[in-house]
Amino acid sequence: MDFNFTQDENEFRQEIKDWLSENLSQRISNKVKKFQRLDKNDYEEFMKALSAKGWLAVNWPEEHGGTGWSNTQKHIFEEEIVKAGAPRIVPFGLNMLGPVLMEFGNEEQKKYYLPRILNCDDWWAQGYSEPGSGSDLASLKTKAIDNGDHYIVNGQKTWTTLGQFANKIFCLVKTDTDCKPQNGISFLLIDIDSPGIEVRPIITLDGEHEVNEVWLKDVKVSKENLLGEENKGWTYAKYLLTHERTGIAGVPNSKSAINHLKVIARKTYKNGKPLIQDPLFSSQIAELEIDLKAMEIFNLRAISSAESGKAPVMESSLLKIKGSIIRQKTSDLLRKAIGPQALPYISEQFDEGWNQETIGPEYAGPLAKQYFIYRKISIYGGSNEIQKNIVAKSEFRM
Amino acid sequence: MHFNLSEERKMLKESCDRLLNDHYTQYKNHHEVSRSETGFNKKFWKECSEIGMLSALISPNFNGLGGTGEDIMIVFELIGKHLVVEPFLSSGILSITSLTNSKDIETSVLDEISSASKIYAFGHSEVDTRYDETYIKTKANYKNDAVFLTGQKSFVLNGDFADKLICTARFSGNDFDQNGFGIYEIDKTHCDIRSYNTIDGYRAAELKFSETPAKELCKNSDAYNALLETLYAGAFALSAESIGAMQVCFNMTLEYLKTREQFGKPIGSFQALQHRMVDVMIEIEQAKSAVMLAAGTYKADKDTKYKNISAAKNLVGRAGKLVAEECIQLHGGIAMTWEYNLHNYAKRLVMIDHLMGDSDHHLEKFKLYSNY
Repeated sequence: MDFNFTQDENEFRQEIKDWLSENLSQRISNKVKKFQRLDKNDYEEFMKALSAKGWLAVNWPEEHGGTGWSNTQKHIFEEEIVKAGAPRIVPFGLNMLGPVLMEFGNEEQKKYYLPRILNCDDWWAQGYSEPGSGSDLASLKTKAIDNGDHYIVNGQKTWTTLGQFANKIFCLVKTDTDCKPQNGISFLLIDIDSPGIEVRPIITLDGEHEVNEVWLKDVKVSKENLLGEENKGWTYAKYLLTHERTGIAGVPNSKSAINHLKVIARKTYKNGKPLIQDPLFSSQIAELEIDLKAMEIFNLRAISSAESGKAPVMESSLLKIKGSIIRQKTSDLLRKAIGPQALPYISEQFDEGWNQETIGPEYAGPLAKQYFIYRKISIYGGSNEIQKNIVAKSEFRM
Repeated sequence: MHFNLSEERKMLKESCDRLLNDHYTQYKNHHEVSRSETGFNKKFWKECSEIGMLSALISPNFNGLGGTGEDIMIVFELIGKHLVVEPFLSSGILSITSLTNSKDIETSVLDEISSASKIYAFGHSEVDTRYDETYIKTKANYKNDAVFLTGQKSFVLNGDFADKLICTARFSGNDFDQNGFGIYEIDKTHCDIRSYNTIDGYRAAELKFSETPAKELCKNSDAYNALLETLYAGAFALSAESIGAMQVCFNMTLEYLKTREQFGKPIGSFQALQHRMVDVMIEIEQAKSAVMLAAGTYKADKDTKYKNISAAKNLVGRAGKLVAEECIQLHGGIAMTWEYNLHNYAKRLVMIDHLMGDSDHHLEKFKLYSNY
């Protein structure tokens, strides 16, 4: 056992830090730290800077313009960009579609799409979930009818994250209904500005617009845009979902959230003393911190076993569950820490450049909102219950 | 960074595992051993010593072959796996740590321990002092060049059959002071001993002494430092032990879910039970991770070391209780019987939280060492 990063890894970390301090703009990191709304340009500015440096496609092999980094390096990179207050790297093209294209796409598709993802020319959205198909994804209804050299697609996709910024969407569609649901699914690459597509906002419980519905009405999609083989889409979809996800626990995010919580608990007073000295409250923070530290090691163990070639499928599911519990618990304590200051909701506070006086401290504004929106973490990406099913199926063999 | 054991340690682990397995499968359960006259098997203790399980707990500075966090973790995980009642904690970790942190200790004393020729026990808790580190009421009375102890030590593991007892006792100040106490060695022939078995099948004793002649090992700040080192060494060893026992509970339960049928199918096919098993699995991985971190920082500065051990002991306390309760529930009625071995593991898991500071105690200590 050795808990230390190597000299090279420490130098690597420093290189990332130095680069971020030069290339991540203060304007953007301030917005991220204040939980302000990011627009398309904010995301793209950062991603284009990474792309120019050759650091955008951290999960890609070098032959496709990726970094070729080890899992440990990826982990260090993720930690540093969260610490620096960078916007998240939009994963749909890079981490979801990219690996599927490399594995199952034809040469033309690879040659056309991969560089466009890498150069931020395309913004991809994910067209998986439907109103009637959440956890039971294979039951999806969006239909693609064969019409010679193209398909005619009809249906509705939902929970399309940042779809309002996208120009492309990869969709799971039904191409055969006379078989087991899993065997009749195909994987299509679609232009969002095709006639017949409409993207409508879904406002989530925090009052924000991040996810969308995508309606498809008689949309013409050339057969050139079929990925892999017809009716094999389920295999590709699963490949996408089980593709190496060492960052799934969200350790860096929880770490910075707990640090934030401790800062707030030192500034907030109860019975004339800092809240962090209150035995009841501090015990809850401490327990969370212990759990997070253990999960960080658990995560590193998974990364290190992935390094030696063992795909951490079971670990990914366990880490997703524990990671979501810890992040939700942290947001719960953040909300509790500020007491009645959690009540005011001034939506304009989350717009760039808003500089009026806040009610209570500035950090209080987003905390209740964050608590509510973070309920999503145990729902998305395969709900915690689905993760448990996956583990039971693969590990218990019952 | 990596989390693998070196080849040497893998070999240590395998040979110890084999020895413990061969020995312990001879018994129906560990109660059989701990109810014997001595409370453990002397011949087997000697065998453990011969394959190096005791010198694995002692650093090369004191003629041992190990003593790192990793060594202790390996040995104690196996102790948890086989519910070993031999005095690895008392004559092993606790006595070794208190002795090696004392002044001018001779290596020959540790050789006696590692060769199993002498058994030591460590007495610190008193009947009503709970887990407090420095609440010591036993008195040390210095007369001329000699010192005599008067008082009582409770829950002394293997205290009945030890040759020597190491005890804390106070010579000045208030009951809670960090100063004014020492660590002493006394001969068991001078004590009044009441021996008993514990709920989880181990052996302990109440020791009473009155003006009993003692030998000073250290006092004042030296004693305080040695005591903390000892208590934390014990907490760490128990945390590792807990991991071994948790894994057995989990495996037994998984096996049972696959074979026990109700409503015409294995009960493990029911989602309600599967999901609970995954929750148990997550907490075992968490606990393991915390113990690994504590092992990796066992030789670090004291604040880091104690912080990580307290984190591990707290997490192991919570996880151990969850594992014990869930594994009993998932088994159902069979787990309530003496006959079925699960209860022994469940009891050990819960009782580990009653030794060397429970999860609440260590949560407070974690806060202390994290500067809350």
